[in-house]
Amino acid sequence: MMILAGKTLTAVVKPPYPYGGEFISQFLFALQLCWFPMMISTIAFGFGAPGLQAANFLSLFGALDRLGGFFILASVREFAPFVTAVVVAGVAGTAITADLGARKIREELDALQVLGVDPIKNLVVPRFLALMLITGLMDIYALLFGISGGIFAEIAYGQPLGGFFATLFNNASVTDLWGSILKCTMFGAIIAVVCSYKGMNASGGAEGVGRAVNEAVVIAFLGVFAFNYVFTQTLLATNPEISVIK
Amino acid sequence: MGWLAVPRDWLDSLGEIARFGGRVMILVFNGRVFHFFGEALRQAGILILGSAIVIWGLTFILGLQCGIEGAYFSRSVGAPSNAGVFAAWCDLREVIPYAFGYMMAAKVGTGIVAELGSMRISDEIDALEVMGVQPMIYLCATRLLGAWLTLPFIYLAGIGVGYFASYLAVVEQVGEVSSGGYFLIFWMFQNPPDLIFSLTKGMVMATAIVLVGCYYGYNAAGGPVGVGTATAKSMVLNIVLVHIIGMMGTLIFWGANPRAPIGG
Repeated sequence: MMILAGKTLTAVVKPPYPYGGEFISQFLFALQLCWFPMMISTIAFGFGAPGLQAANFLSLFGALDRLGGFFILASVREFAPFVTAVVVAGVAGTAITADLGARKIREELDALQVLGVDPIKNLVVPRFLALMLITGLMDIYALLFGISGGIFAEIAYGQPLGGFFATLFNNASVTDLWGSILKCTMFGAIIAVVCSYKGMNASGGAEGVGRAVNEAVVIAFLGVFAFNYVFTQTLLATNPEISVIK
Repeated sequence: MGWLAVPRDWLDSLGEIARFGGRVMILVFNGRVFHFFGEALRQAGILILGSAIVIWGLTFILGLQCGIEGAYFSRSVGAPSNAGVFAAWCDLREVIPYAFGYMMAAKVGTGIVAELGSMRISDEIDALEVMGVQPMIYLCATRLLGAWLTLPFIYLAGIGVGYFASYLAVVEQVGEVSSGGYFLIFWMFQNPPDLIFSLTKGMVMATAIVLVGCYYGYNAAGGPVGVGTATAKSMVLNIVLVHIIGMMGTLIFWGANPRAPIGG
């Protein structure tokens, strides 16, 4: 997998660059697949986990307006990237593995190689770049819908929204947002490499492709969450000013 | 592939999935699955040996995550000794059910689709029917029974793993609260009904995931490529179902009642 990652990175920068069209079509494909599951998932997650539970807790103190500040911690720093990664890995990642695995089983990849077309440059690189870009952008989309889930929770508790927005924007910082987007872009890279690797190494007929998808998504989840832990840890420890509640 | 392909696909198949799931559940509840109890035990064994470690791995990582977020959050409000509140709620009520659901969908759900799908493609399911074995019972109902037999215990152990990870993160790693102070708050903010609610949430997710996996595998078509596509599709639906079930569980169990030892 590391070898594939290295080869992909060199193929990204080394001319020629034949992957423009494929990049656009992969980007659109991932966007078409992801937008609807992503919207439902982030609203449900934002409403349930940080929304209702934290509102429960804050309402005991009569401080429901603080929910907005909590959403910066919960949604921007943790849940938006994490739900984005899960949905992208589960939706776009599995589709990539199924697609590449099918091509491998039908020996299309070998045929490409015989024709002198490099499958890494023409198939893996556009998927890698598209997934990186789309995961980073989807993070903002997930943020919007996650925070709207929080707004629903605030409304469910019959609270005016002014306090929510005031604490939300008071606590928001640029470091948090950049950290969130950078983290998501890295998630996209991990998912793309794992899923492409598993797809290109599928073998064993009908069961092989299914098994490749299964393994790809398990490894992608574990990789993403392990990386998430290290990243959050580093971000919180190196930027102490973002964890101050205002 | 259009913009509305995913929602339209769900509208098409949601009713069929519900009917399929209902039939499988009836087969379990009317006891006909016990003709193949050995097969159910074998499926349970596969779950324990194949999936338990991965599920615990994910709950461990997310427990660590809850721990550090809780430690930094409670420090920022000036009460580092209260990290246990955040850890207890985050672990038990929300994140461990989600972690369990994600890993079930990724490992068990797609595994079932891949296995049943390849059986369907190579006509083994038809062969079972010809031999007089009802494939719905032998393949789907046994898997559901196996899941119900083992998953509650895997889930409870997963909660334990998550608790251990949060303890490691809060007390050993960030280290702003003593072990005794952490546990005092940590155990005060949860009680047995919370554990049962959390278990219910996890089990509803697991049931939905196994049924969706069985449906997509049982109805796979279109050669080796079809199996891959069906696996990917089942994953999409499972992810969304996990989130919706998690939200509904929170709303039903804790929506009107915080169950916290604060105030009157």
